[in-house]
Formats: sequence, structure tokens, C-alpha cells
Amino acid sequence: MEEQYKVKVSDLHKSYDGVHEVIKGANLTVMPSEVVCIIGPSGSGKSTFLRCINKLEEFQKGHIFVDGKDLADPKNDINKIREKIGMVFQHFNLFPNMTVLENITLAPVKLGKMDKETAIKEAHKYLQMVNMDDKADVRPTTLSGGQQQRVAIARALAMKPDVMLFDEPTSALDPEMVGDVLNVMKELAKEGMTMIVVTHEMGFAKQVSDKVAFFYGGVIKELGTPEEIFDHPQEPETKSFLDKVLNA
Amino acid sequence: MNLTKLRKHFWLPLIALVLSFLIAVPTSKAQAAEKTYVIGTDQTFKPFEIQDKDGTYNGKNPGIDMDILKAIAKHEGFKYDLKIMSFNADVQALQSGQLDGMIAGMSVTSERKKTIDFSQTYYTDGVAMAVAQNSKITKLSDLKGKTVNVKTGTMGATYAESIKKKYGFKLKYYTSSNTSWADVKAGNADAAFDQAASLKYGIANGIGLKIVGKQVANAPLAFAVKKGKNQTLLKKFNHGLTWLKKTGRLQKIIDKYTSSKAVKSQVVTDTSILGLIKSNASALGQGLWMTIELAIVGIIFALIFGIILGIMGIAEHKFWHGVANVIIYIFRGIPMMVLAFFIYIGMPTIIGHKLPLFTAGILTLMLDEGAYIGAIVRGGFESVDVGQWEAARSLGLPYYKALWKVVAPQGFKLMIPSLVNQFIITLKDTSILSAIGVMDLTQTGSTLIAQNFQGFKMWLIIAVMYLIIITILTWISNYIQKKMQH
Repeated sequence: MEEQYKVKVSDLHKSYDGVHEVIKGANLTVMPSEVVCIIGPSGSGKSTFLRCINKLEEFQKGHIFVDGKDLADPKNDINKIREKIGMVFQHFNLFPNMTVLENITLAPVKLGKMDKETAIKEAHKYLQMVNMDDKADVRPTTLSGGQQQRVAIARALAMKPDVMLFDEPTSALDPEMVGDVLNVMKELAKEGMTMIVVTHEMGFAKQVSDKVAFFYGGVIKELGTPEEIFDHPQEPETKSFLDKVLNA
Repeated sequence: MNLTKLRKHFWLPLIALVLSFLIAVPTSKAQAAEKTYVIGTDQTFKPFEIQDKDGTYNGKNPGIDMDILKAIAKHEGFKYDLKIMSFNADVQALQSGQLDGMIAGMSVTSERKKTIDFSQTYYTDGVAMAVAQNSKITKLSDLKGKTVNVKTGTMGATYAESIKKKYGFKLKYYTSSNTSWADVKAGNADAAFDQAASLKYGIANGIGLKIVGKQVANAPLAFAVKKGKNQTLLKKFNHGLTWLKKTGRLQKIIDKYTSSKAVKSQVVTDTSILGLIKSNASALGQGLWMTIELAIVGIIFALIFGIILGIMGIAEHKFWHGVANVIIYIFRGIPMMVLAFFIYIGMPTIIGHKLPLFTAGILTLMLDEGAYIGAIVRGGFESVDVGQWEAARSLGLPYYKALWKVVAPQGFKLMIPSLVNQFIITLKDTSILSAIGVMDLTQTGSTLIAQNFQGFKMWLIIAVMYLIIITILTWISNYIQKKMQH
């Protein structure tokens, strides 16, 4: 029974200075193949919350279970857990000292997941999936933002993760690039990838997510299906936020 | 788990390895060479020490001390290695055990007897006052308000200090007589107090000064060992000296340098820049080579040490940050010359054996330049976008794999200009090591000038030589930088 969920966050607390909490007891359960979009005003702590899920941010209290392993337990090797959690960043963070292909094969090869030849074959497969295979041998710095982000998604997928975390993946993109990246993400969702997405793309959230979480004041204020959140918000903060973003 | 832990502390043994290597190498050497005494002497201090044009004492007329030492060693059957340093450094090195004995026109004083055992005396020298040839100063009372040059730690200095108040003059200290005299000749100071024999010989060889007044504070000169140490050597020296005196050989040696028919320094006939280069080519070449050798070996060790420090500075465990900070703080804070003296003269007291000069020099460069390189390396790593760390770690790469594969290559690229700059500074800093007697280009220059009195031209030659190698180094590094950018 316990193993049903993919990710379970319970009573998560985090502060940077030990005094002011940015996350004040957040809870979230994500089931396998579920797509959860986290929306909310800037500064509400939603990115920090996401970054706690692969421990890029340390947290002081609470538990995060990924595949049944507690991130709060120091006995669990965080590197092993991270191998199973793909992360896509707002600013892509591709390695500029390597080609696109090397970006993708680095971790699988260095962590002994596969030999170099297999890794290269796999990399091409993922590059085809994000429609970037023709750029396999170029340096990432020569690519547009949208192209870089698609490579970054391929890089995360190459580790064959169980969960993918997206931290505002389209916020740094020119508008005409957003569609390509969202399409790749939709494709992933369709294939049954478990995804947690922090986003400002309300259309995407509405269309793709199984659940939408409204993050406000360091907690998940409201959680529900896209219809529940977008069409029948219960909390006044949710209403006022949606009013602002949808009628902008 | 064990393996990752092991990796985290991987640098600690490496540091230990580098340090032990540097200290262990000299140990074996020192033991193998135990039968050979290490005798310290001054740089040219005529007529007791007269370096030849290559800066050695292997020439025909190396001075009273050198002739005595050579004769006694041959008669008593012992071997010795000469260490040529400034008089002060010799005294300190004798105290720290770096030297077994020293002979450097050293006068016997009750003060020195507290820490030094002296041999029988071989010569009695006094203090004389020298002034420029056109000077109107003729006696001590003319010195009121004037500036007097002395060489630190000498009889002349002691004497001058004792009468300074009475006659109301100011003292200026030099580490070599030659510079002290040149300063008087140039008119920057009014008189110099120095050992009479030395002044006489200098005047005979054209230093452009004259002796005025009487020779005072006559004191015996003797060979020295550290109090209570190397008594066998002292006994041998005394035995040999007795033989020299009995056979009249001692007087012959002294006459050779102090009588009216005293030998002249090798006279440099061609004092044009080209002539000076020609006549000193081999000495300059050796000095240049020593400088290059020090710079290259020093840079390699400093780079290793600096990279270790830089990695400690951003290590996963914060504890290492503190360690790196303290090390960088200490070695950046100590002037390099002080560090060199500490290592060469101070360390033997701690580690219990001598440290070869070259090793001491490299150790100094490694610690001093390494601290700067450490700060550069740490800074380079830190200026890599934090997103690179996060991306690498989020893929599951452990800390040091992320560092090595992702952050370090980008960091090194950022730090290349600063590193190149530090390499050039290292090359120039090797000249500081001349203070402990390393025969580098700078020290060679000092020695040659003590010989030929061509200060301006010689320093010009030396400066241009430094410029040339630094230009070549800059070209090479620019070329490498360009290559790496592509």
C-alpha cells in the first residue's frame, strides 16, 4: 500500500536563516504517472519546494519520500536517489564545456549505468524524441533557449528517471520557443512519466495536469483537478491569483 | 559508502605526501653526506673572502679565510662544502645547525662567545673609518650630524654603535661592505666603518675611498662552531692552524693579501656592456639557469599545492574551507623573504636536519606562490555558475565527480589569465631567494658587482635578462591561452 505513491512530501519546513521559514509545513502526494503542476505567485516558495524534492535545498523538518526512500534520512545515499529524479531548470544549465551529446552521456557513463557505446545510442534516441538529434555534436552555447531546454530534458531522461521535476522550464524562453518545449513535456506526460512542474503556463497546467497545486505563503493552499482549481477555486487567495494571471 | 568517504578525504594524504616528499628527500641526502662538513662563509669580503668571476672560491686568490681553510682541510684530511651567504645568514645558519662551522673574517667577542665556540685566532683585525677621497672628514669629531655606513653584525657596526651618541652621527646598515662603500663613494653617506684589512684591500683595488684616523677596536679573528657542537671539527681546525703558524705558512697567506704587494682583484679590462656580458657569460648563464630551474620547479609545486588548497577551499565538508583559509592567510601574510629565512634557517631546528638550499627555495616558492594560486583556484571554481553544480548534482553525480567533470574544466578556463600572471610573479619572486644564498640571476649579479664594481651596467644586464625570459614566458602563455580558447 505504502509503495503506491511516487513522491510523498509531509510537513515540510525550510528556512534559509533558521528564523524565517519559506516553506511552512507543505504536504503533497504524487501517484505514479501523475502530472502535478504547481502554480502560485512569485516568492511563494514553490521553486524552493520543488528543489527540496531532490535535495538541492536542505530542509529542516518533515519528510520527503521518493520511491519509498526518505530524503530526511542521512543513511540514504542522496546521489542514488537523485539518479532516479530528473530535473529541468529554468536556465537549462547545460554544460558549456561539452557537446550536446556529451552533456547527455556524461552521467550515465560516469555513474556506470551503461557503457559509452550504449549511452551514445540512447542519447541519440532521446535527442530524436526532443527533435534535436541534428545538433548532437554542437556546443550548447550555439543553440537557442528553446533548443537548449529540449536538450536539457533529453539529458535528464537519459538517466531513466522515475520522476521528472520541472522548475519553470519555459520562463526564460522567448514566446515562440515555449510551444516546442511544452509539446515535448506533453509527449512525456502521455507516455506516463510522473511529473512535478512549477509553471506559469496556465494553459499547460489546465490541459496536461492531473492535479494542480496552488502554492501560497509557504504551503500548498489548495489542491485539486484542473477543473476544481481553475473553474471552482475555493480559497480567496487562489481566486485572486487566478484573476490576476488569467485576466492580465 | 566507505568508498565515497574515502574519496572525500582523498586530498589529505596527498598533501602529506607532497610535504613528506619535500622533507624526506633532503634527509637521505644529508645522511649520505655526513662526512663532509658544511662550512659557511660570507660573500666577497676582501681580503678574507674573494669570489671569482663565477661566484665561487675555487679561483687562485680566494682570500685569507679560504686559503687557510683549504690548507687546514688538506692537512687534517677533511672535506667541506662551502655555503656562501650573507654574514648574518651565516651566523643564524650556524646557530640552527645548517652549518657545521663558519669562517668569514669573524671577530671574537664576549657576546658571541655565549653561543659560539671559537678556534685559536688566525689574524687580528681592527676597525677603520673610510671616507670619500675628496671628503674633509679626518677624525671622529667631524662626524656630528653625518651618516655612517656599517655592515650589520660586524665589528665595525659594534664599534660605531658604541660611539654613535658621543659623536652624534646616524647609522645606516648594509648587508655587504661593497654596497656600503659604494654608497659612501656616491655621496649618500659620509663615512663607512669597516674592518681595516678589508678596507685596505678594497682601496688598493680602487673602491675610491681613503682611510682616515686610527685603526681601533682591534680584535682577533677566528673560525667558529656552534657552542658545544662540532668539537671534532674545531679540534682539527686548531691542530691545523698550529701547524700553519709553526711552518710560517699562515704569515705567507696573510702577506699575500695584506702586504703592499697584495694580489689585485682580477681586473676587468673591458667594462663596456658587451665586454661585461662576454667576460661573465658563464656565471650569468648559470645564474639564469638557476632562476629558470627555480621558477619551473617552483611553479609546478606551487600549482600542485595551490590546486589542493583551491579544492579544499570548496570541498564538500566545510571543515576544509577553514583549513584552506588559514593556510592561505598565513602564507599570503608572511613576506616571502621572511618565509625563506624561516624555512632555511628556522626549520632545521624543528625537523632536526639540514635542508638543502634548493629544497628550501622550492619549499618557499611552493608555500608562498601556492597560497596565491590556491586563492585563484578557489575563486575560479566559485565563479562557475551555481546552476552548473545543480545540474550535475541533480543527475546524481557525487560532489567530486561534479567538480572534476563539470565545474573544474570551466573554472580552470576562467582562472588562466590570473594563473599566467602568477607564473610571471613567481619567476620574479625567485630573486628574493638570493637572500638565503641561492645562486640565481640576482645573487650572481650581486657577486659579480662585488668583483668588478660595475653596478649600473651589471644590474642593467640582469634586468634585461629577466625581461627577456618574462617576455618569452608571456608569449608562450598567450599562445597556450589562445589554443585553449578554441
